[in-house]
Amino acid sequence: MNVMTKTKAEEGASHIYEPIPCEIVSKRDLTPLEKLFRIEMPDGRELGQRPGQFVQVSILGYGEAPISISSSPTKRGYFELGVRNAGTLTGELHKLNVGDKIGIRGPFGTYFDVEKLAGKDLVLIAGGCGLAPMRSLIQYCQDRPSEFGKLTILYGAKTPEDRLYKEDLIEWNESSVFACSYAVDGVPAGGCFNEGQVGLITVLIPPLELDVKNTVAVIVGPPIMYRFVIAELKKKGLAEDQIVVSLERYMKCGVGKCGHCAIEHLYCCLDGPVFWLNQVSSLKGAI
Amino acid sequence: MKRAKTEELKTFFESLSDKYDLRVPVKLHDGTRVLGSLSEGEFAIEGGKIPQKPTSVFFPQFDEMFVVTDGDVAMAKPPAKPIMVVGMTAEDLDCLEFIDKFFAENFRDNIYYNKRDGSVVVGVSGRCGKDGEFMKIAGGKCDIELISDGECFIVHPYTDKGEGLVEKLQADECGCGGVHMEALRKESDALPKEDEETVDKASELIRQGKVTDEFWDEIATRCIACTSCNLACPTCTCFEVYDRERDGKMVRQRIWDSCQLDGFMREASGHNPSGKQLQRTRRRIHHKLAADVERWGHRTCMLCGRCDEVCPTEIGIKSVCREIVKRFS
Amino acid sequence: MTNSISCVEQTGCILLIGSNTTEQHPLIGTRIINAVKKGMKLIVADNRKIRLAEIADMHIRLENGTNVAFLNGLMHVIIKEGLADDEYVKTRTENYDELKAIVEEYTPERTAEICKITPEEVVNAARMYSAPEAAMIVYCMGITQHSHGVDNVKSCANLAMLTGNVGKAGTGVNPLRGQNNVQGACDMGALPNVYTGYQKVVDEASRAVFEKAWGVENLPGNVGLTVTTAINAACDGQLKALFVLGENPMMSDPDQHHVKTGLENLDFLVVQDIFPTPTTALADVVLPAACYAEKDGTFTSTERRVQRVRKACDPPGKARQDWEIVGDIAKRMGYDGLTYNSPEEIMDEITRVTPIYGGMQYDRIDQVGLQWPCPDREHPGTPFLHKGTFKRGLGLFGPASYMPPMELPDEEYPFLLATGRCYFHFHTGTMTRRTRLLDREERFPYVEINLDDAKRLGIYDRFPVMVSTRRGEVKALARVSDVVVPGHLFMTFHFEEAAANALTNNALDPVAKIPEYKVCAAQVRRAS
Repeated sequence: MNVMTKTKAEEGASHIYEPIPCEIVSKRDLTPLEKLFRIEMPDGRELGQRPGQFVQVSILGYGEAPISISSSPTKRGYFELGVRNAGTLTGELHKLNVGDKIGIRGPFGTYFDVEKLAGKDLVLIAGGCGLAPMRSLIQYCQDRPSEFGKLTILYGAKTPEDRLYKEDLIEWNESSVFACSYAVDGVPAGGCFNEGQVGLITVLIPPLELDVKNTVAVIVGPPIMYRFVIAELKKKGLAEDQIVVSLERYMKCGVGKCGHCAIEHLYCCLDGPVFWLNQVSSLKGAI
Repeated sequence: MKRAKTEELKTFFESLSDKYDLRVPVKLHDGTRVLGSLSEGEFAIEGGKIPQKPTSVFFPQFDEMFVVTDGDVAMAKPPAKPIMVVGMTAEDLDCLEFIDKFFAENFRDNIYYNKRDGSVVVGVSGRCGKDGEFMKIAGGKCDIELISDGECFIVHPYTDKGEGLVEKLQADECGCGGVHMEALRKESDALPKEDEETVDKASELIRQGKVTDEFWDEIATRCIACTSCNLACPTCTCFEVYDRERDGKMVRQRIWDSCQLDGFMREASGHNPSGKQLQRTRRRIHHKLAADVERWGHRTCMLCGRCDEVCPTEIGIKSVCREIVKRFS
Repeated sequence: MTNSISCVEQTGCILLIGSNTTEQHPLIGTRIINAVKKGMKLIVADNRKIRLAEIADMHIRLENGTNVAFLNGLMHVIIKEGLADDEYVKTRTENYDELKAIVEEYTPERTAEICKITPEEVVNAARMYSAPEAAMIVYCMGITQHSHGVDNVKSCANLAMLTGNVGKAGTGVNPLRGQNNVQGACDMGALPNVYTGYQKVVDEASRAVFEKAWGVENLPGNVGLTVTTAINAACDGQLKALFVLGENPMMSDPDQHHVKTGLENLDFLVVQDIFPTPTTALADVVLPAACYAEKDGTFTSTERRVQRVRKACDPPGKARQDWEIVGDIAKRMGYDGLTYNSPEEIMDEITRVTPIYGGMQYDRIDQVGLQWPCPDREHPGTPFLHKGTFKRGLGLFGPASYMPPMELPDEEYPFLLATGRCYFHFHTGTMTRRTRLLDREERFPYVEINLDDAKRLGIYDRFPVMVSTRRGEVKALARVSDVVVPGHLFMTFHFEEAAANALTNNALDPVAKIPEYKVCAAQVRRAS
């Protein structure tokens, strides 16, 4: 029941709820809880996403869930999803293997607007799972560094083991494109962490040397993180129109109909997930 | 314009049942009025609004999105017969106008428009409300409006489709040359506007940020999360999606959801932006009276009163608005 | 209920004890909320911080299992302060002296000590309950599901009679029935000791009525087994066959391991239900039945109101009406007398053999139901019982002394575990866990634990914990809050994957044989 073979939709009649069967071409562990799936569209098509967008992933019989796209559109021929095993659908997804098909709708939502960010110094701040969507922008920057100014990556996770994309973290750190600072909340007994600091992600912000006028910070992370990171950035002199956030909400449709992701008058799926902070900072329950 | 007796209307609708999936007001055995086919109960065009939300004919409580048989996905198709819904009040038609817009905006919702496209909407108004009350005349927003003068219904088509249908109606012309209609319109215009004024005032107060969390908390302690308000509201469109197996096939379907439930916004991680009753109660009212004003340019409570009627603890939207106006203006 | 639901609107005070009304009887709960808004006094006597506690005039968090002491304490104050209805006591009741003697010992101080509350709470509650012209006691499983459940109920009745609060509008002793038709099932004699309308099987005259009506001889005059004792008898090998209709004892009866042993020990188990359950899994034969929306007939509500229910759709597949199934089985066993053409025909028989249902013909309950007793076609039904006189003549005070629950926390099992239900699931979850939105609301088994205890044990909200008792162990998510007091745990029995009844104690009330679901000793620790 969980493998889609073909769809019977009539030619040309696009249906907003119709999942397109796409193949899992590779699968690997990121952490004990998270896996990275590489997906290909049928007939060599491109998904056509922009950094920061998401897709609705279906496994027939188990439902559908929104998943951030982890790869940049500059990577051609495939897209990647970094998925935590957190619920029914993601649990089933983890059980699937290379060659299996999943349903995809999208890409949906707003994106990190690389045209507006062009020429700016970027501080890319990710916490925990927030690195999954952030990676699409990091990869974009890595592939087209000349479009931007100084590029800084800050990443925090609970423990060294919990960090996503560990190989990428090393690669970015070693690359001349990025200045990287990493932190972990704590190190379990017997473990060690040589690649950064032990402490909350906010400890990485005060030491930054920013050209305040020409800097934009981008934040993606767990709900609890935003308030504290934003406060640190404001102390550095960044204004709300220099901060981009990507928010996560429970979603069912991805197209602004099901109502679950409403933040006051905005829909996280249509008007987000990527917002300028000044769009949402006054809305109750947004941050 | 034609002027038809109730019996003539019934015959008219009966004659259309071959071509249309008819949803007319009928009275069930226990006295409840619902939208159904003429075989389900006595034709009951009089008596005011239908207690159930009439927009459910296009956005039903359960709706199939697609069916999968042996890996083949078959998306939901338009119904074999177009729907004809009879008995929407002026307020209901306002609601329908909004949800038409809602389901069309950005991404056009195929599931909704499968049913809505090609449908016929018949409004009802005039002296045929509950206990003979006068019901506001819509003056449009439907294909045909049936306007009661207390004895008969003036049959007013507003669209080409409506006109085509009314041609087939066996009834006399109203020989008054429009005088009749003019009088009814005046009566409609003279209807009291208290509810409208109260809700508009409350909307303004909420938008000005004058309504406190203490107030929402107080209302929230009276909410038992029965979700009736959402289920009865013609402009509530939130839905949950889930897959289920039926007769060996996998069906993805949507079902009305309620923002009054704790699980409505709860994420897999446990994080819940509306995890408190206060937040949910505020959202129910704030959304219609403030958030939607921001998004759509108008409030999306059309004053039908259904939530007030179904709420067991008297915290429907009009009741709460009255409290807001009393407390904060 | 001795009284009607509408009495909530006619009373000056409700003593709500052992009922989470807004969650389990939400429509009655809403009436209470509305009544409080209009000035009615509300005393919530419940260990848990339930929704109604937030709007109550008093919330008394008495220790589970100390209801008798609490109620005796109230009566002590009422007598001592001259707040009793002396005239009522004199003219309508008997055995007052014994009551007085027993409650004499329950001073506010002693009561407070047993119940772990303050003496002021006892005094104030007694004054608040006895002050208005009419006061109600509303209770539910928090009163009955104890090894001394009958004593609890009697004590409620004593308190009501002492203050003259039986036999008039806005008063009474009002148990809220836990299922839509449990009242009807009892009324119809689905009990081991009575025929319909509580006509006793040991009474020869009642047997004669049914022998005549059913055309049989020698109906047995001995009392049968209760649900809980039947399981014990099955374990002992004395019970050979069991026919279960619409129940799921594997989930709902105490000590799941014990139930499983009993059911597996049977020669023959038949289960009739609407969905597969852990009980049907053990059955030799499963009979698919129609659900509530697929049948015609009546349900009798908590206020004794017999109401028509009408079929909305046909049952699926081979599912059939309960009465058809039972009738056909009887036929194959050689008796034709249970063959009917319609539920109405059955109701006609009920009205003929059941005095309290004598006037309940279908044409009379077509739109609005009637409350029994309704002995004949002219009778308007009975909104409240015991008007003018009790059924037995004088109201009998049946005083009880406080007895501790059968199993109390100790060093090894230091927590007091109570079980119950939540708002979104019904009973063993057979229906509600198959309902998408209800299941979404409560998808995982959980155990409520107090903030202080959680902190001490390193338990965090939503983290998995193991809950164990002398009977078994289950895994659930911790729900850390101040809903339960320190030292207490609360679990629901809706979840098959963490059956609370794998933990509960099969200690029964000696009279009613109801199990002690509300108190057993447990321990909790982080799951690894």
